[in-house]
Amino acid sequence: MNATYIQQAIEEFKNNISLHVRHRTLARYTGLPVSDESQLFYLLLPFLNGEQWDGQLEESAITVGIVHASLNEHDKIDEKNATSKEQQLTVLAGDFYSGRYYEILARLGNIPLIRQLSEGIAIRCEHQIKIYESTHYTLEEWYQSISVKHTELIKRFYQVYQFEHYTTFMHTNLLLLQLQKELQQLQNGKPSNLFMKMGESVSNDEKLLELKVLEEINSLRRLLNEYLQSSTFLKDELKLYIQQQLV
Amino acid sequence: MEKMKLKLLYTDLKSDIDIIEKELENALNSSSHLINDASLHLLQAGGKRIRPVFVLISAKFGNYDIDNIKNIAVPLELIHMASLVHDDVIDDSDLRRGRRTVKAQWNNRVAMYTGDFIFARALEYVTAIENKRVHQILAKTMVEICNGEVIQIEDKFRVDQNLKDYFRRIKRKTALLIESSCELGAVASGLDEKNIRHLRRYGYFVGMSYQIVDDILDFTASDKELGKPAGSDLLHGNITLPIFYLKDHPIIKQFIEKASTGKVVEEDRLAMLKVVRNSEAIKQSIALSNQYLRKALKEVEALPNHQMKKKLRDIALFIGKRKF
Repeated sequence: MNATYIQQAIEEFKNNISLHVRHRTLARYTGLPVSDESQLFYLLLPFLNGEQWDGQLEESAITVGIVHASLNEHDKIDEKNATSKEQQLTVLAGDFYSGRYYEILARLGNIPLIRQLSEGIAIRCEHQIKIYESTHYTLEEWYQSISVKHTELIKRFYQVYQFEHYTTFMHTNLLLLQLQKELQQLQNGKPSNLFMKMGESVSNDEKLLELKVLEEINSLRRLLNEYLQSSTFLKDELKLYIQQQLV
Repeated sequence: MEKMKLKLLYTDLKSDIDIIEKELENALNSSSHLINDASLHLLQAGGKRIRPVFVLISAKFGNYDIDNIKNIAVPLELIHMASLVHDDVIDDSDLRRGRRTVKAQWNNRVAMYTGDFIFARALEYVTAIENKRVHQILAKTMVEICNGEVIQIEDKFRVDQNLKDYFRRIKRKTALLIESSCELGAVASGLDEKNIRHLRRYGYFVGMSYQIVDDILDFTASDKELGKPAGSDLLHGNITLPIFYLKDHPIIKQFIEKASTGKVVEEDRLAMLKVVRNSEAIKQSIALSNQYLRKALKEVEALPNHQMKKKLRDIALFIGKRKF
């Protein structure tokens, strides 16, 4: 197993997600479902690491990808004006994907995963809506919200299938990757709404925010390296792949 | 007033409906104060709670246990509520039942997250039921409702559509969720297949009639009664039943053309309403709604003797006669 093999597995997984939510009209106006490859990697990690994996588990993992895609569609909705046909259908694409994940899990009779994912979605929404609240949050609280957005559903998937030993890697790595992405946007002068809101935690001092986030990134990077070095169950090729993604 | 009349129809279910109402409040409870505010805003807007009522009544024909049945009744109402929150974003509606919508009160994103939160809570709630069939029916319904909405957007301002297109649309938009409410209540209470079928079909026919009446009222009720401007459906490009009978009328044709380019002024709206209200289209639409109601009543007749049969009949008749 090398990086190419892993990348191919992720690509195939992404295609499978698309196939499960195929819809002619939605595809024409909203395109293919949006998936984050790092999240897909962590959904596949137990399989890549040789854990017992069958068709039903694969399909369950696909539903987690579908839920992410569903919520990603709703993240595309403009705050003020969603009157275009494309935006209207984007709302429906998210709802349709949401119905499809439920339909697949209902067919499999996988009630525990339905429960875990719906709990996870509710928590994720509670964190995502924070940027519209007037409450003052600390940077640590914002990091937690970013983490919930990117890791909660995968964490729930791990819980259902007793893959919790992967949670630490997943949690640390996905938060780290997301902070790197957000920081880059900030440095390019195009901060996300979330980062603009985070700025309030440091009195809107952009330089200070950059510094603090960089500190957090470095701390997460150290932590992840420690985990990778001390892990006895993760295959070396996977450790290498994770490290390569950081570069 | 209308809501009160409906409530009078199910006074003997009041204690169970109160349980549902309480459970709705619990289900919407969130650690986010913004979601709590938005949810409270929705709960306070009320609603007829017609879907939970159909679940309860259908379940009465089987082994009725409110502690079990509430796990179906509550999610169905939550799904309905969530879809309204998202619909208001799609339709860019600022008012619903005379109150500001979530998207108008806050913004589109808040509406998306609130809707997603409510959908999630609905599914979380229904997982208290382990019966795979229940989940399959509900999931299929959710997917089909979405398909219906996609079709509705595709059909907007499309004057060459036929009645079949309209029925296909309202089936998914409204009838399916009412049909599923009846079916799920029956399935969850362990009713036999034959009677599950009668209740499901009853729900479907009532649902079709309900939407046709809704579409009629959009033209005949006042702005105040509707809580939004009368004729809003056509203004947004939705060709509903009364318009099928008037598609060739010059004022209607002109209105649709203007609406499709966003050039309608108040004078146009009033002229369009006058044409529809004074036409035979309303009577013809009512006649079609009544046909569905007759079919619904036939399904009730086929059910075993039970005091709930009268209730099903009364609700069907109320739906046919409601004023808004």
